[in-house]
Amino acid sequence: MTAVVPSESEVQEGGSRYDRLIQPARVHGTLYTDPSIFAEELRKIWHKTWVFVGHESEVPQVNDYVRKQLADQDVVMTRDKEGEVHLLINRCAHRGLQVCDDKAGNSSSFRCPYHGWTYRNTGELLGYPYNKGYGGKKQLPLGMGKVARVASYQGFVFGSLAAEGQSLEDHLGAAKGEIDRLVGLSPEGKVSLDAGWLRHKTRSNWKFLAENETDGYHPQFVHGSIFGVTGSPIGELYSDNSTAVTRNLGDGHSENDLRPEFRGFAEPMRWFGTTPDRVPNYVAAMKEAHGEDADRLMIEGAPHVMIFPNLFIAEIQVFNIQPVAVGECVQYATAVQFDGGHELNMRMVSQSIGSVGPAGMLLADDTEMYERNQRGVAMADPEWLDVRRGLHRESVDEDGFTIGTATDETGMRGFWNHYKSLMEAED
Amino acid sequence: MTETHPAAADGPRHDIRFDETSGAVTIGAGKVVESEFASVAIKLDQDGNSVRLRVEDLRTGRVRFLDALELESLVWLGEGHLTQLLDPSHERWRG
Ligand code: FES
Ligand SMILES: [Fe+2]
Repeated sequence: MTAVVPSESEVQEGGSRYDRLIQPARVHGTLYTDPSIFAEELRKIWHKTWVFVGHESEVPQVNDYVRKQLADQDVVMTRDKEGEVHLLINRCAHRGLQVCDDKAGNSSSFRCPYHGWTYRNTGELLGYPYNKGYGGKKQLPLGMGKVARVASYQGFVFGSLAAEGQSLEDHLGAAKGEIDRLVGLSPEGKVSLDAGWLRHKTRSNWKFLAENETDGYHPQFVHGSIFGVTGSPIGELYSDNSTAVTRNLGDGHSENDLRPEFRGFAEPMRWFGTTPDRVPNYVAAMKEAHGEDADRLMIEGAPHVMIFPNLFIAEIQVFNIQPVAVGECVQYATAVQFDGGHELNMRMVSQSIGSVGPAGMLLADDTEMYERNQRGVAMADPEWLDVRRGLHRESVDEDGFTIGTATDETGMRGFWNHYKSLMEAED
Repeated sequence: MTETHPAAADGPRHDIRFDETSGAVTIGAGKVVESEFASVAIKLDQDGNSVRLRVEDLRTGRVRFLDALELESLVWLGEGHLTQLLDPSHERWRG
């Protein structure tokens, strides 16, 4: 891939490399195509910050495990016999073999197929065959690698490969409230992500996906066909007439807040495109659980939030983006399941199949855009991507967050600000 | 005389019914791994991310799950180790 270098006139003197490539109203195309930038991202973002890995509900039983991806790291999420969740790096301490091969299973311990070294599902080395070669049992201070820090919020499990750094709660910041909003739609105050993940390989840089998730400018165009076929009113929420806002939540997180529109309609379950009489059991369970507040929750609906760098909650679906190479990433998608919301859960699964399944319309539409985007930025001219939309009409909301209108690129600018601060930090 | 007690090869004697919702076990006429000394119900459990063996001590209700690697290890357990496990003071009545 040819990297396009900014021309002399476009280079601002004195700034860092990323000062030159990331400007308030535009970003340089090489950010998506330069392998050396991708390598730096792995070190400075993916191996350092908190990355979404999976959900506790994927390992419901003691000794359950699932294989996961944390950027370029193959990770095994396990639940030990005490119920604690671990993220092990899928690598044998002996000769580096990948220890687990199955996608999921239940086992208290893992035995490496190469020479039989056996590990507890906490990563601790249990034993090795023919131990005289090592001077007896328990002589080796070795174990499987571990993701240095593991923490979860509302069951969402994040890992950080850096031993030091801010806490998960600090990293999530204002995005915590969005996760809470999602969980608030469960009659039991809990969500599960156990409906199975669809895996979509995309020949595109991961940042195109992250930026697009709260880009309210594209839905009417890219998703015009699905809105047309289904008669969905969602398209109109992303227009110049909408009262919805795009909010920069800080730390690279952003959201499309559609609540102003739904509050205007004041119809419970409209966010889901349905009415209370079609999901009576769910509505009854919500009223039972939340009393007076149930109507508000069911009117305002679920969040549409992109949590930096890779967790996207799109109302009824959760996406997990993991980079593979400068021009390739994998996007995993699953239907949200509300504990105690069986009636709604079945609908969420079928809607997810329709939108992000193999023949689904939403994700296929977007993927076509990402891939064309990637092919486009490899072209020489123009060198920049424009992100100025709405810059002149941004304002600050009562909580101090920068907001733009429903179709503004406020979220993208928030993403780039944070990205720049991470990439400029010392290794 | 009619022979009613099963030959070992017939396998378990009691028909065990597991109530999936409460987790309770009911024993009808039929199958269980049992002797005059102990009575144990066994079931393949599918609740985890892969199948396990659910073993229940019917006298105490205590349950243990054994995964494939643990079961395989049991098969290879030396007589000495097994005897050690059977020693009542080894785990259960240590006090
Ligand atoms: S590489 Fe795993 S036991 Fe040798
Ligand atoms: Fe889209």
